[in-house]
Amino acid sequence: MLGVGTGIDRRLVYNVDWVLLGATLFLSLLGVAMVYSATYAGQKPELYLKQLALVAVGLAGMTLAAALDYRRLADRAVLLYVLSVVALLYVLRFAPVIAGTRRWIVSFGFQLQPSELVKLAAAVFVAKLFSEFRQESLGLRDVALPGAAVGLLALLIAREPDLGAAACLVPLFLAVAFLAGLRMRAVLGLAAVLLLSAGLAWPFLKDYQKTRIYTFLDPSLDPRGAGYQKIQSQIAVGSGGLLGRGFREGSQAQLGYLPARHTDFIFSVLAEELGFVGVFVALSLYLLVLWRMLETARLARDRLGAFLVAGISATFAFQVVYNVGMVAGLVPVKGLPLPLMSYGGSSIVASLMGIGLVLSVRMRRFAN
Amino acid sequence: MRIYEDLRLVQSRLAALQAVVVLLVAGLMVQFWNLQVVRARHFREQAEHNRSRLVTLAAPRGTLVDRNGQLLVGNRPSFNVVLVPEHAENLDRVVSRLAAALGMGEAAIRERLARRQPYRPVVVKNDATLADIAVLDARRLELPEVSVEVVPLRSYPLAAAAAHALGRVGEISERQLLLAEFKGLLPGALVGQAGIESRYNRELMGKDGFRRVIVNSRGLEVAEAAREPPSDGPNLTLSIDVSLQAAMEAAFAGRSGSAVALDPETGEILAMTSTPAYDPNQFTTGIEPARWASLASDPNTPLMNRVIQGTYAPGSTFKVIAATAALEEGVITPGTSFYCPGQLSVYNTVFRCNTPGGHGVVDLRRAISASCNVYFYQVGIRLEIGRLSKWAKLMGLGAPTGVDLPFEASGLMPSAEWKLRVLKTPWYAGETVSVAIGQGQVSATPIQMARVAAFIANGGRLLRPHFARQAKVPELPPIVRPETIAAVREGMCGVVAAGTGWRARLAGVLVCGKTGSAQVVARARLEKTPAAHELQPHGWFVAFAPADRPRIALAVLVEHGRSGGESAAPVARRILAHYFGLERADPPAEAARADISDTED
Repeated sequence: MLGVGTGIDRRLVYNVDWVLLGATLFLSLLGVAMVYSATYAGQKPELYLKQLALVAVGLAGMTLAAALDYRRLADRAVLLYVLSVVALLYVLRFAPVIAGTRRWIVSFGFQLQPSELVKLAAAVFVAKLFSEFRQESLGLRDVALPGAAVGLLALLIAREPDLGAAACLVPLFLAVAFLAGLRMRAVLGLAAVLLLSAGLAWPFLKDYQKTRIYTFLDPSLDPRGAGYQKIQSQIAVGSGGLLGRGFREGSQAQLGYLPARHTDFIFSVLAEELGFVGVFVALSLYLLVLWRMLETARLARDRLGAFLVAGISATFAFQVVYNVGMVAGLVPVKGLPLPLMSYGGSSIVASLMGIGLVLSVRMRRFAN
Repeated sequence: MRIYEDLRLVQSRLAALQAVVVLLVAGLMVQFWNLQVVRARHFREQAEHNRSRLVTLAAPRGTLVDRNGQLLVGNRPSFNVVLVPEHAENLDRVVSRLAAALGMGEAAIRERLARRQPYRPVVVKNDATLADIAVLDARRLELPEVSVEVVPLRSYPLAAAAAHALGRVGEISERQLLLAEFKGLLPGALVGQAGIESRYNRELMGKDGFRRVIVNSRGLEVAEAAREPPSDGPNLTLSIDVSLQAAMEAAFAGRSGSAVALDPETGEILAMTSTPAYDPNQFTTGIEPARWASLASDPNTPLMNRVIQGTYAPGSTFKVIAATAALEEGVITPGTSFYCPGQLSVYNTVFRCNTPGGHGVVDLRRAISASCNVYFYQVGIRLEIGRLSKWAKLMGLGAPTGVDLPFEASGLMPSAEWKLRVLKTPWYAGETVSVAIGQGQVSATPIQMARVAAFIANGGRLLRPHFARQAKVPELPPIVRPETIAAVREGMCGVVAAGTGWRARLAGVLVCGKTGSAQVVARARLEKTPAAHELQPHGWFVAFAPADRPRIALAVLVEHGRSGGESAAPVARRILAHYFGLERADPPAEAARADISDTED
């Protein structure tokens, strides 16, 4: 790909994290099954096959990423950053407007969402920057430059607009800065600054974004409108009960009461049809994935590897927790896919490639 | 040589991040436990509410047929445009589109929506035309939350004929919704609002069925979960005879008044009319307020059933009651005669007879046939108010007859106790003199007076007039002696044969009757303005026929008809002529009239 050598030896294969790989595969296939349940009776009943194909593509990407030596990749961090900015500018300038937003590059019948890959590039870039620091502890001034660099990416994504994807970069940056030794006072100060800027951003939010926040606070304000998704998702989750209503038997999902049920609200379908038991299994698997990722960071042979894995993990964790929290009605509705399960090519492939990078770090923990 | 970096800080901070992740996922699990286990039942109910919709299957009301099986009131299919507001994504848009499609005002639609119940379909337009349906069908994809349901609608093929007896249906009112009688009904339900439709509403309504259907998020039906078919209301056979009813309406020829004909042996009502009338078909889909206002404020009161709600002074028809009372109390015998000089002075008040020159010596038969007031003044003086009132009440005055129609008036039969209680003044003997000829405080409805005629016709039994055919006629013993009946009957036959009611004479059938006129204003005032129609007395005629074995008894009242002999007797004759199949018989010639004044009865 980027002219990076891909030497594979037996020791690398021996150190593959099979637990992480297995849990990832299981969640991906569970996602395919839920996409099938959500769409088989609709206008595009073959969508799950497409999802299956995307999982296959993603696994190929994962293998490639695992085979890459992350250190060679990090050497191209600046190039990756520049490519990201260019891609995002291209999207803003030339991408077609789909559902009021410019998020996709469309070519040869494929839709590519650059922001998903930018998250990975950002993880590499941030990890590389922070791994260069040699101080014991960092102050706010030290992180200002990396922060501005990530902030530019987030701003460009937010302009699409895709607030959810932009928000993913925040935990990425925070997690890596925290690991790199940012002083606790600075961590708290940064959190305060972020909260403040969220407040300052309020007047610049689009009306639909404000409405979402209002109706999150009181869904009954508009039961057919913006509050609808939250109410219907909660009904779906709650009516699933302990054991669920059965695969393909959820009335909320099957009768179309759930919005975006094969994409952002795929977890509602799972909760309704497989019940709390299914939720418990799925969340446990996500926790297992996250746990193994952070373990990988802990076991990494160098700061670069630890930071790279931590950045990817933070983004992944943020998406899982936010999406599932949204399904459960805990946070405002925002267009954020559930990694590994939501329908959507860029998200699936990027998630699997990210896990590939994690695998890569773990495989090389003893290598020179 | 490999240089190991110092990763201790990284590793300890990673442990903190791991803890944060575990806490977050654990928190999510707690929330799911709360939703899916603790509050599962609540959400399951909401999901059910979401997906299922109850569709009422209206039970057709029972039809009404006449005694010969001819349809009086039926049902026809009609289309209702209904909307479930909860299924509308943008209700304002749906309302404006519907208003445009149906040519209605948005305000009218909103008014109907305001009375909705959660998740119940709201009828936006009743009895939509085929053109409306075509427009909606073309826009079905734009308006998925709107549907058309076929409901049975009441139809009255006779239109205004028998309107007051049959009554009408209309949307249940908010006040009615609170009544026990209408328990379980929802806004928009059609219920009987007058006449037999109201009296037998529960029986006629049958039982609505329902369908529980599964609908998707756009409100479109995807499956049927349960169905209970409606059970039709039972059909009701009425005692009405349609052809007699038509003859009765025709006999009035547009004049205001009312008439009712009974079978004197059973009390069955053969025909009942009150004019002016209205067309109950106007009410079946909800009458427009303007039309309702014009009906309700019409000075000719078309909505009022005069037969049971109009109370009038019975005038000389009351003499039938006075004669019966006097004979039963032994105050007179059939042979008792009084001298009539044309007036009688009682307690320093002069009471006039109807014939200024007087009738000379009159016996009971001639007193009735010539309607001699003086004779009945004498009877009244001898009976006194107590006994007169007692017998009037025994013959059905002063109380509802119990006919199977709602809102019947009771009329008034005064007595000394009544006057003391209500007017707080004692009874004056002079008042009895007025009451004895049916004037003064006494008032009666036409159905009460038809019942009096039936009482004489059937030998002294007071029957309950009714429409619903009964399996068994109750055995009632006569409450008066046969001699009394015979004497009153003879007088009544004389009324038609050679008295004030000669215009009711029918070749081939012996008709017995009694004329009467109910004063609207005092006689002195009438003499000043004789031309004013609305001040003219009402004309009464009560009758039964044939004399020997009566099959029909009736009462006719023509408002402002001046005298009963002039106005009501000819109406009665036309009704009787139809009943006995004698329509082609010539009306009685002027020569047939006797020596009696026919303007004063």
